[in-house]
Amino acid sequence: MPGLVQLEVAGRIATLTLHRPEARNALSLDLLADLHARVDELAARADVTVLVVTGAGKAFCAGMDLKAVGSEDGLRHGLHRRLLQSLADFALKLRGLPMVSVARVNGAAIGGGCGLATVCDLAVTHCDSKMGFPEVDLGVCPAVVAPWLVRKIGAGRARRVLLCGGVMSGQRAWELGIVDRVVPTPADLDGAVAEVAGRLATGGPGAVRATKALLNDLDGSLDAATARRGAEVSAGVLETPEAQAMLRARLGGGA
Amino acid sequence: MIVREHRGGVALIRLSRPDQRNALTPGAMADLVRAVRETTAGSLVLAGDGPVFCAGFDLKRCAEDAGAMPALLRGLSEAVIALRALPGPVVVAAHGAAIAGGCALLGGADVVVADRGCRLGYPVVRIGVSPAVSAPFLRGAVGDGPARAGMLDPGLVSGDEAARLGLVHELVESPDLVMPRALELAAALAAKPPWAVAATRAWLREIEDAEAGAERGLAASMSLVNGEEERRLLAAAVRRP
Repeated sequence: MPGLVQLEVAGRIATLTLHRPEARNALSLDLLADLHARVDELAARADVTVLVVTGAGKAFCAGMDLKAVGSEDGLRHGLHRRLLQSLADFALKLRGLPMVSVARVNGAAIGGGCGLATVCDLAVTHCDSKMGFPEVDLGVCPAVVAPWLVRKIGAGRARRVLLCGGVMSGQRAWELGIVDRVVPTPADLDGAVAEVAGRLATGGPGAVRATKALLNDLDGSLDAATARRGAEVSAGVLETPEAQAMLRARLGGGA
Repeated sequence: MIVREHRGGVALIRLSRPDQRNALTPGAMADLVRAVRETTAGSLVLAGDGPVFCAGFDLKRCAEDAGAMPALLRGLSEAVIALRALPGPVVVAAHGAAIAGGCALLGGADVVVADRGCRLGYPVVRIGVSPAVSAPFLRGAVGDGPARAGMLDPGLVSGDEAARLGLVHELVESPDLVMPRALELAAALAAKPPWAVAATRAWLREIEDAEAGAERGLAASMSLVNGEEERRLLAAAVRRP
């Protein structure tokens, strides 16, 4: 079976591609396991100074694989807990990488998918990509991504984005500070990402590593207790009968 | 002066002392805290009657009664904490002006709607009062840099500028459009799955933990109360036409 995540290195720039395009790169346990493995490999690569994270196909990442978390079977086996903990741990691991990470948000980045973009040090997208955190609309709680969004755009803005739910354009995401650069069309994305990554790669690896480590320390990025507790909170809400009924109705499985 | 209503799934609390620009007395503040704590609706709109949302504390009362300022400061802290502790979201309809204690109430809001010409700010160091009581909540809302400037600089900002800073989140063209927009937003928020909204609000409160600084903020503001500087500057402010 081909991997669900591809890792390519070209010079000092590595590219990590979520490769499950038929499911809009939704985060399944298998995909997350691959992400963990590839990022573990990267952590040892002293020759890489920039990591680009992107999605194969039209979407960046559609978020958690709802089919898994909305099934009675999945719930009974604690699949949702494993999935959420895996995502929380992966976010810590991605943030803890010594190289600078750039999310290349090529299309929809929803829920946990938008969270992945938020965990990266920088994010680039195009005006019409769909981004956002519609968790509350689905009856679930974006507790894993919340601390990352608070760090990225501040508590006040994060509060509004998460409570108001829905999705927004890439342009709006840029206005709110969720992404750092926005280009007019999808066709402009590669040029912009190459420019940003190329510029980042000119940094001295030692200086970049030290700076990123300090920033991680200052904003509590590597606070594992909060990250894991977020997964617990999110799982707790998912387990409520109200949330389960809503998810099943949405997935067409009957409430 | 605190009026409570229900509009669909939305609770509405109105400050209603329009001839005094809804200036808050200790009694009104206590009523506000009680009204907030008793709110059970899916979402809450906090608004003001008359030309402005709220001009702050009733300074004349503070100058006359040494017990008023401490009661107001403690009440303000309690009001903001009570707003943040509600399970449902809070929308503040800040039309016309939200000044000093009136602006501090925004610290309890998830969404603030204002008109472009609205005047907002904390011009209280000028009267010898420290806005420290609001600091833990304001820095979360707008970030440390703007919070610092907003509390130390006694100038006011426009609705436009407040929106740029992140203190205001929705701008409308004129004061009369603020309340309808606030009610509309609150109704949309009240229609969302309440368990998910409540869990998200509780988690955000936990990770932000602004409440941890609330006691220190209140203590810093209280330390100046009825001191020589405050009495002198407050008396001068009340005498000004």
